[in-house]
Amino acid sequence: MSDNNHSTGQPGNDHHEDAVLKEDAEYRRQHETIKRQQAEDRERAGEPAEPKVGVYICRCGGNISDVVDVERVAQVVGMVPGVSVAKVHTFMCSDPGQHTISNDILEQGLDRVVVASCSPFLHEQTFRGAVSRGKLNPYLYEHVNIREQGSWAHKHDPEGATKLAIQMITAAVGKLHNAQPLDLIKLPNHRKALVIGGGIAGMKAAAELAARGIQVILVENSGRLGGRLNDLGRIYPSETMASDLVADLIKQVRNHKSIDVLLNSKVTAVSGFIGNFKTVIEGPFGPGGGPDKRDALVGAIIMATGYRPYVPRDGEFLYHQDRCVVTTPEYIQMMQKMDPGAKSLVYEGRTIRSVAFLHCVGSRQLDGIHEPQPDGTLNTYCSRTCCSTILHQAVALRKRFPQVQVYDFHRDIRTYGRGEEEYYAEASKAGVVFFRYNGEEPLQVERTPGASAKQPISRKQGPITITVKDMLTWGEEIAVPVDMVVLGVGMMPSHIEDLVESIKLPTGEDHFLQEVHPKLRPVEVSVNGVLIAGTAQAPMNIQETLNAAGAAAAKAAAMFSHEMVELNPFVASVDASLCCGEGLCVTQCDYEGALQLVEKEVDGQKVQRAEVNAGLCVGCGACVPVCPHRAMELNGWRLDQFEAMVDGLMADVPYANCEPQLVNLG
Amino acid sequence: MTTSANGNNTYRPDAIIVGAGIAGMQSALDLADQGLQVLLVEKDSSIGGHMISLAKVYPTLDCASCITAPKMSASAHHDNIRIMVNTEVRGIRSVRGSHFVKLFKKATYVNFDKCIGCRLCEYACDSEYPDPFEMGLGAKRAIAVPFTNAIPQKAVLDPEICTTCGSCARVCPTDAIEFDQQSEEVEIETDAVVVASGFALNSLGVKSQYHALQNKNIMTALTMERLLAPHGPYGRVLRPSDGKIPSSVAFVLCAGSRDASIGVPYCSRVCCMYAIKQAMLLSGALPIADITIFYMDIRAFGKGYEQFYQNAKAMGINFVRGKVARIDPLEDGDLSLHVESTEEPENILQEHRHDLVVLAQGMVPEWNPSISTPVAVASDGFVATPLLTAPTSTTANGIFVAGVASGPKDIVDTIAEAGAAAMQVSQYLYQKRAAVTPEYAQGPVLVG
Repeated sequence: MSDNNHSTGQPGNDHHEDAVLKEDAEYRRQHETIKRQQAEDRERAGEPAEPKVGVYICRCGGNISDVVDVERVAQVVGMVPGVSVAKVHTFMCSDPGQHTISNDILEQGLDRVVVASCSPFLHEQTFRGAVSRGKLNPYLYEHVNIREQGSWAHKHDPEGATKLAIQMITAAVGKLHNAQPLDLIKLPNHRKALVIGGGIAGMKAAAELAARGIQVILVENSGRLGGRLNDLGRIYPSETMASDLVADLIKQVRNHKSIDVLLNSKVTAVSGFIGNFKTVIEGPFGPGGGPDKRDALVGAIIMATGYRPYVPRDGEFLYHQDRCVVTTPEYIQMMQKMDPGAKSLVYEGRTIRSVAFLHCVGSRQLDGIHEPQPDGTLNTYCSRTCCSTILHQAVALRKRFPQVQVYDFHRDIRTYGRGEEEYYAEASKAGVVFFRYNGEEPLQVERTPGASAKQPISRKQGPITITVKDMLTWGEEIAVPVDMVVLGVGMMPSHIEDLVESIKLPTGEDHFLQEVHPKLRPVEVSVNGVLIAGTAQAPMNIQETLNAAGAAAAKAAAMFSHEMVELNPFVASVDASLCCGEGLCVTQCDYEGALQLVEKEVDGQKVQRAEVNAGLCVGCGACVPVCPHRAMELNGWRLDQFEAMVDGLMADVPYANCEPQLVNLG
Repeated sequence: MTTSANGNNTYRPDAIIVGAGIAGMQSALDLADQGLQVLLVEKDSSIGGHMISLAKVYPTLDCASCITAPKMSASAHHDNIRIMVNTEVRGIRSVRGSHFVKLFKKATYVNFDKCIGCRLCEYACDSEYPDPFEMGLGAKRAIAVPFTNAIPQKAVLDPEICTTCGSCARVCPTDAIEFDQQSEEVEIETDAVVVASGFALNSLGVKSQYHALQNKNIMTALTMERLLAPHGPYGRVLRPSDGKIPSSVAFVLCAGSRDASIGVPYCSRVCCMYAIKQAMLLSGALPIADITIFYMDIRAFGKGYEQFYQNAKAMGINFVRGKVARIDPLEDGDLSLHVESTEEPENILQEHRHDLVVLAQGMVPEWNPSISTPVAVASDGFVATPLLTAPTSTTANGIFVAGVASGPKDIVDTIAEAGAAAMQVSQYLYQKRAAVTPEYAQGPVLVG
């Protein structure tokens, strides 16, 4: 890399190097002043005059180093006062990378660490761990994001990204000069879980936790457990009855006396934090089953609120305009209720000789093709279960009524799961006729010309005609008259707007609950202590739902393995010697109970002083600037740390010799 | 970090996990976080499984290392987890609720307690062979640390390649090299087992019509992952036969799945999405290259997947619906793909010329536990999971399954299932112990 300096072959390189030296000298000189100032501060605090900061810069394979000249960054920040080590590694987060950090702390006596890598959201905790293993307080650590905020954001400006990385690291080093060791906040852990939703996800999570010795409150807003599975008949791929699966789970739930099942109930208020959620549940707890409220203190909340089927608009594919256009849940109910001895398929007085199943109704919607929901959103996602549901039903229909012709209209057949592809093969064998269309050219479903709602035009021709541009016959336009249409409707999240509001739950563009990260923290949301199980997160089939519920239970069980919950120490603190009890901070605070005035005795006099509830404080810092006496500070983000960061950002950095190197990279 | 279970007989973990890929590591972490003692057994020289060799992962396009390396590190540093690498499970005997797991510790010819991972031996060695981690595209020394971010960072000697010249032993600063080391068999007792043995790809040769084994420019997606990885064998995407920068890349989906003629009638579930992902990464790495995906159905079913697919279409990646019937090599290393298109009536039998082809091979089980353990497999060869309400249960009491060992799954679904398996293990252990020690029944929740 360093050869590149000289490879441009242009005259003036000597001048260039002079400029570099001059800049480097100037940089050092500027820092001398800051350094003296900081040394005085540190001496007053009883610390050695000079901190020993280790700076570690990650290449992230090439994600960072393809843009940012990391070697140059290390070279420059190595000159920042206080920095005694500056190293580059291909993957800082790998074990050898982390090992370098802990080793350097132990062997070189580092007392501050900076890692410049990806977003702190990914790996701040990882590196705090590495710092702890070096026997250094994990809060004497700063994380600098030079990937999302650097190399990725400024892909086309390598020089700028390199300068930015240097500035951000310099700021972090400055911030660490004034850092103090912090400890995790430890608070009591109420080892009881509240599971919201009594479908299979909620029951599974509750049963697993109870079998693990954990108390559970299971709240279901309807009068029975089982959720959407209560509406299903035989399920794929096991071909067992949904009711058997529900009965099995109900038995598991009822067998545990540590599960408190509350039917016809709703969680109406949630406050508090992980380990200490105060919740209010409304239900028939009053005398004689009348309505009443009860409070419950729980440590974790599992959201198992499930899905609702997409409901087509009136007229969408003739829904609600022809009585024989039904959704998959309605069709399944119809087949469930049918006389087991029936020789022919009759629905609403019409003898059904042909049925069309339509895939992707309310799913995989395209902008400009499909009509959005009333709130303007499109269901752009795949609902994952409809393909297998349709093929499963189509096969069953052909088997039960071989005289009924079955047509399948799809964009793609997504029988991805174990034992699901078999239904596709079986449907083909059973004589189901497949049509395939492009999403951009949607199906037309209309009344067959000449047919009234009651009377088919001829015995053979059904009253509903589906027109398709069929890709299996190289785009031929085909009109298929049928007696019945089954709309394979997708999944949408249940109406849980109240809970989303009161718990401040994050939702995605699709309105489902949003996990923190699909692989790193797949069942957690950004509110600590709240977990998601099942289709509240995204469409899933039964097995996937049960797995998600198990995974959520595992996280709750791990959380409850500790007597105390541990929270980040970044909360407000009050300097009692400066506080005058004016209460401006309390007025400013947005988080109920996080800050309040309490009565204290100072020099024999009763006075008011601000006090922070560390569990409820979110560390937003709103209280800090309003205090006229500078009595409020945010731990880990004190005002003098901000000042040091600004100094770091403003310091001139010797960039000069970044440039010729980076020209070659361009 | 503990890299070997110590020799004494007192070590009795609460659970043994077979396989330290993403499923095994996640199960181990979810159990260890509940206070349980876990032994994580891996047949290869490093933990991390297939995932650590991937470039980026869908649908977030996070670099795979950024997700896997920290989970590897967390497993290695967890107080409740012990790791044994280079160790195969040779059998499980289940006796009155206990499982005796027979472990075969393969000789590595390096004393792990002494090795400090300095790699001096690797630099001194001059016997090379194609590096399996780089899918054979790079070279590896006979004695080497498995790969850059491997855990543990210990050298392993391959006796097939080694010429016993002794240069490694001469430079080793800790005298860690032991040419006379022997493989050994140990048996460890435990209460519960999780089978997380993962997958292999079926051979590139399963469809002889594709002539893939004879052609370096036809590769599996795992090889393409290495080409796309920023720290891969060439540091960029080049075609293996002649180092040419590819200008036209084809992905053939369902090349080893959904095909009864090759014994894999099922869907491998991940190929559509990784092909789309690799196509996107390729269009970043090779901006002027044409990229075509030949498919039967695009199965973008997971959270955010359909949107990912639509983005790929908008980026100009070419999707052609049609099964590739035959691939013929051309004289300059290019390949001719014969396709029956279902989209152009005037042009049904098409021929497409590409200079690099990726075949989506099918996922098949890496290990058949039914031979030496009480765990049964189903007709598809994957572990049978008979209990409807507990998808991670097997036919054997106290033995559970997670990840692709019970059928193809992507990383997201594998991680969820690994958590579910961990929960099954912990409640199974709790129940088992509560039956013997009634205090458990009231106690908080610590099982260990």
